Amino acid sequence: MAKGRELVGRIKTTENTRKITRTMEMVATSKLKRSADRVAAARPYATALGDVISSLFNADLAERFPLLRQPAAERRVAVLLITANRGLCGGFNANLIKEARLTVAYLEEQGATVDLHVVGRKGIGYFRYIGRDLATARTDIGDIPTAANAASLVDALMADFAAGVLDAVYVVHSKFNSVLSTPPHTVRVLPVAAPTRSGAGRDYLLYPSADAILTELLPSYVRNAVYRALVETAAAEQAARRTAMKSATDNAGEMLNLLRRTYNRARQANITQEIAEIVGGAAALQG
Amino acid sequence: MLKVSVVSPEATLFEGEASSVVAPAFDGEVGILPSHAPMITVLGQGTLRVNGATNARFTVSGGFVQVVDDTVRVVTEKATAI
Repeated sequence: MAKGRELVGRIKTTENTRKITRTMEMVATSKLKRSADRVAAARPYATALGDVISSLFNADLAERFPLLRQPAAERRVAVLLITANRGLCGGFNANLIKEARLTVAYLEEQGATVDLHVVGRKGIGYFRYIGRDLATARTDIGDIPTAANAASLVDALMADFAAGVLDAVYVVHSKFNSVLSTPPHTVRVLPVAAPTRSGAGRDYLLYPSADAILTELLPSYVRNAVYRALVETAAAEQAARRTAMKSATDNAGEMLNLLRRTYNRARQANITQEIAEIVGGAAALQG
Repeated sequence: MLKVSVVSPEATLFEGEASSVVAPAFDGEVGILPSHAPMITVLGQGTLRVNGATNARFTVSGGFVQVVDDTVRVVTEKATAI
């Protein structure tokens, strides 16, 4: 029963694999819950900031702020790609990398020099592999991104933009629409897109002045855009991992059924054959 | 009564009613009582006090306070409850 032994081995490995994927699914589910809460918790701040900036914003002010400068042409731009540090999450990282490659290709076609900044081991690994120079490569941002992480990523880019070294900054990240919808997405965070005013503007008392408030808030707005990209990508990663591990667990279950059925059939066939041989042998002795 | 919310990038730290708010503005403390005129002011560093049924204290740094129609929004980059 050589085939039987082999099948027993395969059944065992499949069982073990299923145990691992099921655990990973459960871990991702609990992490996803907390990551999704963080995405929701980041929303009020972004809304409040957007509201105030849009109520203070007008076209005259725009010319005086370096972060609002609209360059005529994008000669040198930065692309910040956010990927995960770990794999085993289906096409998640591959989709992000593809989106980044398309964005970079498009920008280069427009005649821009592109600096590529990558967060996450997976993205770094890919671009190293194809031999592209990375302006920065960071792997220290984990499952729980903080506002400080976002600031450390974007502050240098903001300074370069304000100084006129960079003409635009794009962020490639995953949107977290829902657990099942986490499409990769490219947003331009600099120059800051003028938020549109909703409803009539109110007359606020402004301390110290509209200029001073905007000087303070525009960098916060940019940092927050990056922070939200980090948080959404972290949640999307967990969602992708959960989906991938769920289907892996299901597939392992299906495979186990098939292997067990084959094994049992082989075992029964073996027994039937042995009985037939015994009966046959006994009949020959009697005859 | 004032409707007060204290938000940081990571979380909403406080949401509720209060009778007055004392915030550390860039140039000193600013007190906010009901029927305050609409105002936006930049925050400095210091302690934010929300006085009401439950007195809440936060250490805040950077950001702004927006007052409009008896709604106070404290939006700060760093905030920790004391």
